[in-house]
Amino acid sequence: MQLTIRATGENVQVLSHLLAKNPSNLYERTHKDHAIRLFFSTFTDKQMEMTIFVTPDPLSLINQSSGAYDITHYINDREFAVSSIFTSLIRPALSTALNGKPKEAYEKWVEHSFSFHFSFGPVATELSEQEIRNLFEPLGYEVNIEFGETDYSFQIKEKSSACYITLSGMSTLQKGLHQLFVLIPVLDNYKHYFIDDTEIEKLKRYGEGWLDTHPEKEFIIRKALRFKELYDQFEKPEENLQPIRTKQLPLNELRYEKIVDKVSALPKKRKVVDFGSGEGKLSAKLGFVNGVEEILAVEPSESETLKAVKRFEKLKEQKDFTMPTMIWGSLFYFDERLKNKDVIILCEVIEHIDEERLPKIMALILAYYQPSALIVTTPNKEYNRVYAMSDEMRHSDHRFEWTRHAFREWCEQMNHSGQYEIAFEGIGEEDMQYGSPTQMCTFIRKENQL
Amino acid sequence: MKITLPNAGIVLLVGVSNSGKTTLLNKWIDEQLILSSEVISSDEYRAVVGDTEFIQWAERPRDEADSLSDDYHALSREAFRLLDYALEARCRLNKLTFVDATHLYAEDRKHYIGLAKRHHVPITAIVLDIPQEILLERDALRKNPRGKKRVKQQFQNWKRELRFIKKEGFKSVYFIREDDDIDLIRKENPLLVEVGKGIDIIGDVHGCYDELMSLLLQMGYEQNEEELYIHPEGRKFMSVGDIMSRGPESLKTMQFFQRHVEQGLAYMTDSNHGWKIARWLDGRNVELKHGDEKVAQEFEQYEKEHGSSKVEELKETLKKFLLKAPSHYVLEKNGVKTAVCTHAGIKDEYIGKQSTTIQDFCRYGDTEEINTDGKPIRKDWYVHHKGSLTIVWGHDPKPQPLRINNTINIDQGVAFGGRLTAMRYPEQQFVSVKALKDYSGTSDNPLKKWEIERLIPPNIEKFINGYSVQTEQLGEVKIHGNIAKSAIDTVSHYTVPIEQLLYIPPTMSPTPSVSALLDYLEHPKEAIEYYRNHGVETMVAEKKHMGSRAVLLLFKNQAVAKKEIGFEIDGVIYTRTGRRFFDRLTEQEVVRKLTEELTHKRYFEKYQTDYVLLDAEIMPWNLKAKELISSQYAHVSENALLDRKKIVEKLKSANDINVENWIREYDEKLNNAEIFKEVFQKYCWDIEETEAIQIAPFHVMAHSEETFFHKPHTWHMEMNKEFAKDSSLFVTTEFKIISDSNSEKEVIAWWEEMTKEGHEGIVIKPEIFTSTFKGRLIQPAIKVRGRKYLHIIYGMDYLSPENLKRLKNRNTGKKQKLALKEFSLGLEGIRRFVDGESIERVHECVLATLALESDPVDPRL
Repeated sequence: MQLTIRATGENVQVLSHLLAKNPSNLYERTHKDHAIRLFFSTFTDKQMEMTIFVTPDPLSLINQSSGAYDITHYINDREFAVSSIFTSLIRPALSTALNGKPKEAYEKWVEHSFSFHFSFGPVATELSEQEIRNLFEPLGYEVNIEFGETDYSFQIKEKSSACYITLSGMSTLQKGLHQLFVLIPVLDNYKHYFIDDTEIEKLKRYGEGWLDTHPEKEFIIRKALRFKELYDQFEKPEENLQPIRTKQLPLNELRYEKIVDKVSALPKKRKVVDFGSGEGKLSAKLGFVNGVEEILAVEPSESETLKAVKRFEKLKEQKDFTMPTMIWGSLFYFDERLKNKDVIILCEVIEHIDEERLPKIMALILAYYQPSALIVTTPNKEYNRVYAMSDEMRHSDHRFEWTRHAFREWCEQMNHSGQYEIAFEGIGEEDMQYGSPTQMCTFIRKENQL
Repeated sequence: MKITLPNAGIVLLVGVSNSGKTTLLNKWIDEQLILSSEVISSDEYRAVVGDTEFIQWAERPRDEADSLSDDYHALSREAFRLLDYALEARCRLNKLTFVDATHLYAEDRKHYIGLAKRHHVPITAIVLDIPQEILLERDALRKNPRGKKRVKQQFQNWKRELRFIKKEGFKSVYFIREDDDIDLIRKENPLLVEVGKGIDIIGDVHGCYDELMSLLLQMGYEQNEEELYIHPEGRKFMSVGDIMSRGPESLKTMQFFQRHVEQGLAYMTDSNHGWKIARWLDGRNVELKHGDEKVAQEFEQYEKEHGSSKVEELKETLKKFLLKAPSHYVLEKNGVKTAVCTHAGIKDEYIGKQSTTIQDFCRYGDTEEINTDGKPIRKDWYVHHKGSLTIVWGHDPKPQPLRINNTINIDQGVAFGGRLTAMRYPEQQFVSVKALKDYSGTSDNPLKKWEIERLIPPNIEKFINGYSVQTEQLGEVKIHGNIAKSAIDTVSHYTVPIEQLLYIPPTMSPTPSVSALLDYLEHPKEAIEYYRNHGVETMVAEKKHMGSRAVLLLFKNQAVAKKEIGFEIDGVIYTRTGRRFFDRLTEQEVVRKLTEELTHKRYFEKYQTDYVLLDAEIMPWNLKAKELISSQYAHVSENALLDRKKIVEKLKSANDINVENWIREYDEKLNNAEIFKEVFQKYCWDIEETEAIQIAPFHVMAHSEETFFHKPHTWHMEMNKEFAKDSSLFVTTEFKIISDSNSEKEVIAWWEEMTKEGHEGIVIKPEIFTSTFKGRLIQPAIKVRGRKYLHIIYGMDYLSPENLKRLKNRNTGKKQKLALKEFSLGLEGIRRFVDGESIERVHECVLATLALESDPVDPRL
């Protein structure tokens, strides 16, 4: 990780004073075993070139932090790429220049613009070349990007993910450094960057005089303070689809409503199992169904379970609410507790399971658990057209999505022994050609099988 | 008179003070008929706890006498408490113990009878019936005379009690008079059988006489002139019972065994059907069902053919024979017990003992609960078995000999159309004969039921709160609930179906200690030393392929796959985390090619197997790790090179300042970055067609009927060659053998040479797949990675002295433990699958490995 400052023209030698570094000495400091070094490679009347680089101690860089049990923790770019680690390590060496506080005699040069070339790298960034230019060109720099080599013996990547950037333009030293100290971390990919209040303060200080008018201001601030952003970004892609629909209830609500209606209408409904209950939305609604006396909410994910428990706790005091019981479980294992229930519900569950594994699950439910009723819902693939989707699926974890015909055929196959009556319905607004967004099949155990 | 004593149990001496109990026992000790340690006496224990055998209170003033009498009773109470404790310990250990105390009161004797019963040992009474005058005479001569009054009082009580003793529940009662000449006979434990030239233990025959005959012939037994089956090597055979009922020829089979047992050529244990028939023959009112009715029919037929007196004679003979059958046998090798044979099961504390409770347990197993259709639910007694005795049993038909927790079930349901199995002991080899037909005529066929239930999804209850797996190699492996849950989660979302997930290869430790050489982190020397220190002289060094570990399960055809795992597939290939190795289409293509090759080579016919389970490495590395290589290795390499090149460039352009040292440092660093780039590319190549894929199957884990954990690695390498021959996908693994210092040098040179070119390194294994040292499992393999290769593991600058020094502090202890656990779990799971055990029992092992893998260790090891 390195930064080279090159300046040409008159008076460039005063820069050594602005930097408070003697051009004929080598500068070397260590901080937590990382070596910070600085030297002047050229120092003439009209040319000045200074390079500051950091040689990190690879082992102390990786020591004992959270990801220590993943090989990517040990082999990664942190030791090379310019990042917030780099800026914070070189900050003390460049503090005079950053603060614009040289010896009094040179103070007048602080505001003086020089013809600079700032070169730094390697940069590990997700930003496109254009996005990089958009960061620096508005500041008056010409941007040159040089990429690493990808001359590999086999096909792996077209373009290197490492680059070296040179900015050329007129600037004061202080402003140029301020811009770099803000924008280097913005360029960097690293996600585990801790942001605290001092970072916000630093952003304000270094951004003074240029950030406010920068056309990418929003972007820069967001990237600089991305840690908080991560939380806001967190949303399920599936839910994102729903705003396409009108003022109606979101699809998942419609689904829950339909299932609740279905269960209410069943003659036998005392004991209900909600498989893949997630954060407990459906189970909570089932808790208010008349005649339901026991709800087993089966869910293997701990974080979902915690949310569900919270949801149920809130409803605990409400009148006629049957508290669901959370069960840690999986469809791939036999679970004695699920035998002989009245209703088992698989709401948007099967499409998350590899198709080849489904017959076994259905055999387990229909032949061993033997509920009086089984309700299965799954997306109707045909309806994706209405969403103007092409071949992609509605959720990245969906292993398949079925047409109405495919679903019907599969349900009939699962009921090959004929112990259940099966019926199909749609959930959500129905399209003449493509049907409803969700399809549902209800299996009712035949009387003589009971 | 003759006194016959059993091999173990309690012998109560009964008689008033001075009746000569101690004298008699001392005489037997002197004559070396009994050991002094076999005698425990109340007097002795009084001395042990209270320093005196007796406290005299006669002829004292009342208040003093009362106090002394209290003291004496307190002393006696403590003495008996200790005596009981010692006695119980001896009973548990199945020893014979003589209790030397008066035992004059029924209540005292009842106490010992209960104690004997609790510990399943017989109790005998030896009663000394001595006239009062002699007693008084002896008392007067005693060191601590009890006094006339006390002796007389005892004697009166005693006379009253005497009449009842016989009915109190002693196995036998002997009355001894003053001048009786006693002949003491001590019996051997009738349950002990010396293995001698070998014993062939035979599972439930159930009247399948023809199958029994072919089984005996197959094992080399020969019929002599007296129509007895004799083994030329002097082996004997032993039945675990249920020789009759269900099958076609119960009478013939019973007669056969009766004659051979009588001649000392065979043994037979008691069993549920045997006991039922015995009681029926004894004229008891028993209901004949579950195939017992066939025995009655055979007797009727016999009567028709031979008349009623013949049938009565036969009934009498067989009744006696069946009633005499012991609950179990303990097999001994050189006088040391090593195995137990019984019918339905046994508890460890019953072994070598006899009682009605034990007899019942061995007949029926653990049957406390009754299920809704009235049948007893069999409880798994064998899960409680501990220790090294192998328990061989029958009773509960399983499709294959079932080994659980050092117990082996050898009832393969011959009467139900299964097989008749014999286990040859001590070889522990199985010989079996297929049933000629299903004789049972019942729809409730346990073998079919087993087959259907075999693939039922595993019961989650057994795993979620943590569990332990009994492995053959390492004993109990414990799995905590939290890691079990995370493994279940993995299985529920990412892995191939449970029925296809038979084996997860174990992790492998690098050299247990780092290289002694200054500029090496790992070196073959330390691996070789490890094995030599653990008694391994011959090792196999295999070139380590740098790709991704994979398990291949390949079937002969889809029909057998359906039978074995419930899926109609040609095969499946998955990673060490249980995930499908390829995308579906590529997998199909690869599997199809491989199975076609095997079929073409007639592999399945040659080895008479329906499938083969292989442990392999699949290359190139980028096949599976493309994303990792691109985003980590290539990315890091590009950054490093760019960074270091630029710095060197800048440093070299410096004019007026001396940066020589920095240049030297960065030239070196640049060189390291170049090695890094060179090394990771070494394991990658373009894969347009499946032909570019290479699969190196270095272990053959299993065939239909066999596992190969006992084979040397040279055998596995031979198999590797066979697979690779004329194959478009399979490749060989180079290997060398280390057996002396020359071959060791050769291997080290080989390693140096290949790793200099950037090759990953070698794996050193003990000659035999499963190796132990002093009874403990040792590392099945140790990897020794090359100096160059380690740049991509420990970082490109790892060899710089200050880095290497720190890296040499590594500790492989946890990794080694994990490797042993995962290794034994892997083998256990495969063995269970091959033995036809339920998928739940197989999954128990697989899930355990997945769970252990979720426990973090340093990934650089």
